[in-house]
Amino acid sequence: MQLKFEDVKKRFGSLEVIKHFNAEVAEGELVALVGPSGCGKSTILHLAAGLEKPSEGRVLADGKLITAPNPQRTLVFQEHALYPWLTLQANVAMALELQGVGKKQAYAEAEGWLERVNLKGFEHYYPHQVSGGMRQRTALARAFMVKPEILLLDEPFGALDALTRMSLQDVLHELIEEHKPSVMLVTHDVDEALYLADRILVFGPRPTHVLKEFSFEHCERSHDLSGVAEQRKEILSLLGIKTEVRA
Amino acid sequence: MSQGRRLTGPKKYLAVVLAVAFILLIWQSAAWSLPDFLMPDIPVVFARLFQSITEQDFLDGLAGSMSRLGTGYGFAMLFGIGFGLIGGVLFFFRETLRTAIIILQSIPSIAWVPLFLIVMGFGNLPIIVVVALGAFFPMALSVMNATESVQPVHVSAARVMGASRWQLLKRVYLPAVMPELITGAQLAFGNAWRALISAEMLVGFGQGLGRSLAYSGEIADMVGVMMNILVIAILATLIDQVILEKFKQRMLRYQYV
Repeated sequence: MQLKFEDVKKRFGSLEVIKHFNAEVAEGELVALVGPSGCGKSTILHLAAGLEKPSEGRVLADGKLITAPNPQRTLVFQEHALYPWLTLQANVAMALELQGVGKKQAYAEAEGWLERVNLKGFEHYYPHQVSGGMRQRTALARAFMVKPEILLLDEPFGALDALTRMSLQDVLHELIEEHKPSVMLVTHDVDEALYLADRILVFGPRPTHVLKEFSFEHCERSHDLSGVAEQRKEILSLLGIKTEVRA
Repeated sequence: MSQGRRLTGPKKYLAVVLAVAFILLIWQSAAWSLPDFLMPDIPVVFARLFQSITEQDFLDGLAGSMSRLGTGYGFAMLFGIGFGLIGGVLFFFRETLRTAIIILQSIPSIAWVPLFLIVMGFGNLPIIVVVALGAFFPMALSVMNATESVQPVHVSAARVMGASRWQLLKRVYLPAVMPELITGAQLAFGNAWRALISAEMLVGFGQGLGRSLAYSGEIADMVGVMMNILVIAILATLIDQVILEKFKQRMLRYQYV
């Protein structure tokens, strides 16, 4: 499924968060949005999810106007989006139950998905009993279980330590390879964007506008990012980070 | 959770035993210093209690009180939770209802008895309504206030998964407000219990704990008075500490693991 933003504007009261945003995510493509805090990146995801409506312009999924949330377009939040009163298994199962799947079948499928993200044996734990990384694995299982055609990721690993984050990026990468959704990834982490994305949009401060676009199709990539060192340097300097050697 | 700040095991039981002993000591000291017809000894009152629980009249009264409490409290729970949750999603309704509750709950529910007696007639109904009123306000207010602190991300996550309004209420709002709901239910029980006993004493309809207490007072039967007070205290403590606490631990199981 393809996602398209046409001249989108978003205001909250008198605060203009997004101004003339145009972008497209092609079928099966992964586009990363990188930029400073508070530049309206999350708002773009909320618009795509149908949680918010644009003040002007249109957001389209396969040419159809997005007006309300739909399980075909699922959103993974930074953290705390699991329900503390449900076990990991029940949290995952809820995604299916809300769509009318019976409890028994939903729980059985949830068990399989937890195993898929290496959480076998933790089905009956509550979110507060497991680590942040395990919680986000659960959130990924919950998102992928409904087989979304568009996957929206709102700094999904932002609260994790660097090593956990890298191993979760691999889990995410595998899941995307298996299921091939179109993905929009919002992140603060330039390396995460470089490792995962087909295209990166670098944002300037509010009101949101794209400073530059980078394309990485057919690039060989690994966590050491040596293949994209030039682009990395340029993105960092666009974001105001010094890249010359310290005196 | 914060186990370091709580007493557990034998120390907790010791504290409970001490509290009970302290109350009984005050009572017995009063009995020693006052003549028997004013303040009876503890053993005399307990003897009367054990005799009473074999008598049909006493058991009928107890059943009457409990059914009035159950009906009134039950309705209050149902409507309190219902209105509280609806207020959680309809903001205008919430402000209206909250203001109305703040005004109305300043009136002790027992103050409605004269009005209800005339409007509803002499019988069970005015007592049940007074009990329900006393319990409804704290119930609705706690649930409604708690809906405000439901995390937006929990609501968004459910909406993204395709939850309907009804599913949002049932699967997100209700479990999210459960801790405050239970606190509200305990508060509401206290109100309901006080309303029940005082309404029964005032209305004097049929049989019941309050009626029996008032009657013992009228005929200056101090053993009867103290026995009824004893029953009132024991029952309320049992309901609150055993039934409602068990309910709490069951519903909030996730907080205790």
